[in-house]
Amino acid sequence: MTRMRFLTGTGIVLLLIGGAMQAYRPKLESPPVTAEIQAPDEVRQILRQRCYSCHSNETKLPWYDNLAPAYWVVRDDVLEGREHLNFSTIGAKPEAVQRGMLFESVNTVQLGSMPLPRYLAVHRDAGVTPDELATLRHYLATPPAQSAAPAPAAAAETQFQHWIASNGKPMGTQPDTQVQPEWNGVPFLPEYKNWKPVSSTERWDNHTMRQILGNDIALKAIADGKIDNWPDGTVFAKVAWLQQPDGKGGITTGAFQQVELMIKNSKTYASTEGWGWGRWRGDDLKPYGKDAAFQNECISCHEPVAHSDHVYTAPIGGAQ
Amino acid sequence: MKQLFAAISVVLLLSGCSPNPPKTVYPQLNREAEFRGGLSWNPRSGRVITSWINPGGTMTTLYGDDTAVNYARSHADGAYPAGAKLGAVTWKQQEDARWFGGRIPAQVASVEIVVAGGPYEKYEGSPLAAVPGSDAQRAQFLLQQRAAVMP
Repeated sequence: MTRMRFLTGTGIVLLLIGGAMQAYRPKLESPPVTAEIQAPDEVRQILRQRCYSCHSNETKLPWYDNLAPAYWVVRDDVLEGREHLNFSTIGAKPEAVQRGMLFESVNTVQLGSMPLPRYLAVHRDAGVTPDELATLRHYLATPPAQSAAPAPAAAAETQFQHWIASNGKPMGTQPDTQVQPEWNGVPFLPEYKNWKPVSSTERWDNHTMRQILGNDIALKAIADGKIDNWPDGTVFAKVAWLQQPDGKGGITTGAFQQVELMIKNSKTYASTEGWGWGRWRGDDLKPYGKDAAFQNECISCHEPVAHSDHVYTAPIGGAQ
Repeated sequence: MKQLFAAISVVLLLSGCSPNPPKTVYPQLNREAEFRGGLSWNPRSGRVITSWINPGGTMTTLYGDDTAVNYARSHADGAYPAGAKLGAVTWKQQEDARWFGGRIPAQVASVEIVVAGGPYEKYEGSPLAAVPGSDAQRAQFLLQQRAAVMP
């Protein structure tokens, strides 16, 4: 009898707490759909069903998501989701940017980071099915009707001539001009070009070719096979060039596009997953972004490989 | 009451039991793409001069020793000082399991080593073994590749 009374009491208390929670209810606006993503119907259909709850202005919550405290969590996720990728407004961006976001979306799905695992734990049927994933991949693997024009050879030629004349000095000498650090304070390291090779990538999604280079600390970790948690002082550089068809069915490195650095320091960069992130674009090496918030792009894109210390590249093994 | 239970179970679910991520997100070396067999010089001990994609789906990176790299980054003529060493490694390609939209090195298809004013060597197979004979035209092709711009 006492036990029964206790259970009833607890039930009533929980009910009262639960009821009180509903009183705090910050708003979740639904701004107008201004420029929906441009994609064929079968693609948009999948996005609508699987992604729009958090990544559009057309959020539709099931009743159980409307109850606090779940509501609070879901609302935060929706606001954050929209900020990173909003399918209701992305249509205003260039086609290449829209496709780029779809590639990133497919990758986050394949790597199991989207939909968010904790969202999937509750919304069991929300995941992208293998068939749907195949449809998305097929769409992206088919080049757009107006395929990206090859990088102009003349521009690459001018860049090359300028580079060998001004920058191609013996290693170790300072460049004439000081390259600005990134907005988050991460310094540009001109010595990156003398680091050893880690791997390379042909990126057909954005028509670039990339070399991944590493400093001595990175190379030692690779040689020792200890890459679970890269040691402080590790630096990776990822150098990208536009693809330039050679006219014989092959592709060569065209104009230099950008160099990106990841500098590991678990203390200095504790608030950004232990890495300092930077990207310098064009042959004048202009720091990317408008302010330090640019690094949120880096961090969210690298989140799916958090188990690999946020490093995407699988380094080629063996001593160097 | 039903709503309360739903809310409680949501909180419990949020705090645990998420699906496991795929194997590919865990740390791994690309062992498939490493060298097997002896080479007279390891091109990957040098630095990158440039890279290209071949018709038929292989990818090549051209590396050089200090002499070669310093020259390539300040000249367009490919007239390397005698003794400068270059190495071209050609890999088969595979889809990057971590990035749909990327192709990365798979098995090594060939390694070519050319010394300016010296011999040309080619290695093929697994383990890599020297292919007899020389190929002056191919050696010249490798020496004529311009450095990729790295400001």
